[in-house]
Amino acid sequence: MALLLTRRRRPGLLSARGLTGLALVGAVALAGLFAPLLTSYDPVAQSDLALAGPGADHLLGTDDIGRDLFSRVLYGIRTDLLISFTAVPVGALLGCAFALLAATSRWADMSVQRLFDLILAFPGLILALAVTAILGPGALPVVIVIALAEIPGFGRQLRAGILVQREREYALAARVGGASRLRVLVRHVLPNAVDPLIVQGAVAMSVAVFIEGAMSFLGVGVRPPEPSLGSILSQSMAYLSTHPAFAIAPLTAVTALVLGFALIAEALNKGIRR
Amino acid sequence: MSSTTVAPAPADRGTRSVLEVRDLRVAFGEQEAVSGVSFSLAAGDTLGVVGESGCGKSTTALALLRMLPSPGRVTGGSVLLDGADLAALPEEALRAVRGKRIAMIFQDPMSSLNPVLTVEQHLHEALLAHGRTDKAARRARALELLDLVGIPDPAARLRDHPHQFSGGQRQRIMIALALANEPEVLIADEPTTALDATIQRQILQLLDRINRETGTAILLITHDMGVIAQSCRRLLVMHDGEVVEQGRTAEILTDPQHPYTKRLLAAVPRLEEPSRAAGRPDGTPLLEVTGLRKTFPGSGRFGRRRPVTALGGVDLVLHPGETLGIVGESGSGKSTLARALVGVHTADAGTIRYLGPGDPARRIQMVFQDPYSSLNPRMTVGQIIAEPLIAHRLGDRAARAARVADLLTRVGLDPATADRHPRSFSGGQRQRIGIARALAPEPSVLVCDEPVSALDVSVQAQVVDLLAELQRELGLAVVFIAHDLAVVRQVSHRIAVMHRGLVVETGDADQLVTDPQHEYTRTLLAAAPRLTVVRST
Amino acid sequence: MRSYLLKRLPSAALVLLLASFVIFAILRLIPGDPATSLAGPDAGPEAVAAIRARLGLDQPFLTQYAGWLGDLLTGDLGPSYAIGGEVSELIGNGLGATVELTLAALLLVVVLGLAIGLVGATTRRPWVAGALRALTTAVLAVPPFVTGIALVLVFAVTLGLLPPGGHESVLDAPDLAVQYLLLPALCLALPSAAILGRYVKDGLERTLAEDYVRTATALGVPRKRIIRRHALPNALPPVVTVLGMQIGQLLGGAVLVEAIFAWPGLGQLAEQGVVRRDYPVVQDLLLLMVGVFVLVQLLTDLVYAWLDPRIRWE
Repeated sequence: MALLLTRRRRPGLLSARGLTGLALVGAVALAGLFAPLLTSYDPVAQSDLALAGPGADHLLGTDDIGRDLFSRVLYGIRTDLLISFTAVPVGALLGCAFALLAATSRWADMSVQRLFDLILAFPGLILALAVTAILGPGALPVVIVIALAEIPGFGRQLRAGILVQREREYALAARVGGASRLRVLVRHVLPNAVDPLIVQGAVAMSVAVFIEGAMSFLGVGVRPPEPSLGSILSQSMAYLSTHPAFAIAPLTAVTALVLGFALIAEALNKGIRR
Repeated sequence: MSSTTVAPAPADRGTRSVLEVRDLRVAFGEQEAVSGVSFSLAAGDTLGVVGESGCGKSTTALALLRMLPSPGRVTGGSVLLDGADLAALPEEALRAVRGKRIAMIFQDPMSSLNPVLTVEQHLHEALLAHGRTDKAARRARALELLDLVGIPDPAARLRDHPHQFSGGQRQRIMIALALANEPEVLIADEPTTALDATIQRQILQLLDRINRETGTAILLITHDMGVIAQSCRRLLVMHDGEVVEQGRTAEILTDPQHPYTKRLLAAVPRLEEPSRAAGRPDGTPLLEVTGLRKTFPGSGRFGRRRPVTALGGVDLVLHPGETLGIVGESGSGKSTLARALVGVHTADAGTIRYLGPGDPARRIQMVFQDPYSSLNPRMTVGQIIAEPLIAHRLGDRAARAARVADLLTRVGLDPATADRHPRSFSGGQRQRIGIARALAPEPSVLVCDEPVSALDVSVQAQVVDLLAELQRELGLAVVFIAHDLAVVRQVSHRIAVMHRGLVVETGDADQLVTDPQHEYTRTLLAAAPRLTVVRST
Repeated sequence: MRSYLLKRLPSAALVLLLASFVIFAILRLIPGDPATSLAGPDAGPEAVAAIRARLGLDQPFLTQYAGWLGDLLTGDLGPSYAIGGEVSELIGNGLGATVELTLAALLLVVVLGLAIGLVGATTRRPWVAGALRALTTAVLAVPPFVTGIALVLVFAVTLGLLPPGGHESVLDAPDLAVQYLLLPALCLALPSAAILGRYVKDGLERTLAEDYVRTATALGVPRKRIIRRHALPNALPPVVTVLGMQIGQLLGGAVLVEAIFAWPGLGQLAEQGVVRRDYPVVQDLLLLMVGVFVLVQLLTDLVYAWLDPRIRWE
């Protein structure tokens, strides 16, 4: 990860797209971070006031068992970001570790590729169902599913980068100059191969919010009464025709997050290809 | 040859101007690439445009038919084709001119042909674009064209795809496409640069024949004076977006007027000039190669590539202080040999014995062809040059810094530039950095794989001079690999000629050129472009 | 081509076998005994043992695995544990609805994807390109449960044009069936259509910058024909690969979309199987998905080779 963090300036991020993405993610993330300051309601405290509309007392109204929706959405954002920021680095590290392993020998490369194929053979949601079939619903399976699903993305990206850079003449020159295989890999090839990983990181964050939402929506993710954006959405489904306002706040938060991360990824990608 | 392709040479050949370019200006955004180019091309004439990279010659060619890549655009001047200004023509009217009255061929025949279309489909596209809708007539014309450009057995090859032809044949197909609608002008943009010398000669001969038989005027753009000398009656020299000199090829080559033309001509290595390598090193060899073999296994996702024998038993010796030139065309195995010498490829059989003092891994170093990809873009020049020192654990930090400064001075660069990245250097400067890196661990053998072929001639001469100087001062033995016989003769004591993985002839540099023994050496010599004018009428 | 297929089949079969083993092993690792939960809290040890024997759970691991593989080969998948009924029957019931949904979505993916890509790469109006780029980014990022809810809110709740969920057989009432199908298929298709569209656009932009397009231009070939005849065929092979990957994503997405729109397909069955811990249903469904994925990969490679004459099968 040190390599990822010490990269040079990224002019792509300062483009209109990148700034929009940063603003979207920033606004939602800050709201989640300062949740205790923004609301005095306990996100899991029930009240008699069920399915109230937006008003002065409850900014966004209440849910079907009288919990304050504004508070639930803010804390839901916390849950989502906590899960994503745990799972994505784990997936990235594992993916990169496998890619490095693949760089050691032909045989290792074959095995690692087959492993990636195997993971990819399970579309994300099928993977989610499989993991929850084993562990039962909860936040941990969500983290595991996200991490698992991200492994091939990071791994393939880095593997491809290593393969391309290793054939460049400067890598050859380093070998002729007497550098060991490890030194060529670490000092020459890797620094030139990691840029796409940063883009992949932003994509992965977007996907992570997506997976959390989908799993909680299906009832195999974060367990009630703990709030998460997906679980609030899932609850709201039953009242879609009678209380549409119930769905709109979590819908907006999820959209802002996934879209924001996607925009950041695009801006970074453009900055790299420049 | 059918009567439709062989138009009689026009009676007004060489007098009536078919294409008249006046004060043409092209800009890419704010940057002006062509600043007021004027010339005229007479019907049935051949005009060569020569210049170094970035001089605006290819941009000029593309601007004639308004085919500039974005954001390039014509900002001024006119391109008159029989009086009509192409620069001001609407797009659809210009389309009717492209391929019909003015046709073009390009540098790389592989990428210039569509990989998913057959040869017949290519020709049909060209004919259909200008209203030849009769299918049977199109096919007949296709066969006629392939026959004209010398594709053997055209009927059997119509359904083949571009990748099934050799490089030279692909360029012939490109020419057939260009001639499909009997254009008055054929623009050839570096048509032989991607080809081997023997193939280059055949393509130039074909262009010459077409010019004579069909009366098509040819505008030939190239960086290679030798190519112009062989095939163009008139010559135009470009520099920095401007025409510095134009006139009859014979006159300019023998009596250049403009200082730039003089410099350019002086820098072109000439095959007739004797070797400049001094002395006659012999005695105990420094490096001995015996029976070296290397075969690359077949590969590819669909298992389509067959095993390739790159080296089929190569024997060589290299003496201390000697320059051994190795010439050969692409695929002759010369690059594989270079990589085997520095230990990047392990040979399947045979031995490479280093008989000098010290560790061969340190004492044999290499200079690469591509000055762009051979330097790590993420490192500073100082780091790049210090890498071999670190790898071989030579000196501490301060000693390495001193050595880097010393090496930079030695290759003619300012030591203060050590903390800059490669991207802030020109191609020639980068090649100097590559040389400094190779010299860092004090090698006794320097393997140079096409060290100057990616550089402009004037820069080429400087780098060759630098290598010669370093060899004299440091007593290096040099293996100098190149496809250009003239350069190789200039720098080498001895020359080895490689062909299909074998050394077919080795000998004294001057003797090998003046009195070649092997058939292949003779072919290679005959194909090498020379600065003697072939076409004066 | 036949020899190419023969070469690929063993590795495809290997992936399938490997996946089946992984699926089977993982499901046996789950804490808790299906027989105990099946027998109910009041059952005595004899009853549990009887159920274990009936389900073959007392056999050694490998025997059970071999037995499962044998069942798969004969097509008799045995009874489900918790949902009730034969597994083959359950899968058979849901298969039609899911195939209907994914095929409709696939059609939308191809049509929308090609349209987005073609217009995006060839338009001369910067605002059209910009708008399409923004749209694809949004559609690509936003998950189906968000678009699904938004679609229901707009078309079912607010406008009342289409039903918010449910299913009607195409054979019984084709007009109704299409109304029911429209929203879920669109919801399922949108992200994949955006991805495909982006690949078509990038591919076209790349090929339009190729030397052979310059050759065609220099020959006077009209621009529309250059796009259709020269650029598009070269841009398609990678698109086919992506489309193959997207079919897998559609199958996965179907689980979610079926839940949103109460669509009685395999996704619902899978969800139920997981929630109620019905292992035979889950393992057979998972393997089915992997099988479809492997098959699609194989087909993708074949189509790829057919589109690109440089690749030979021998």
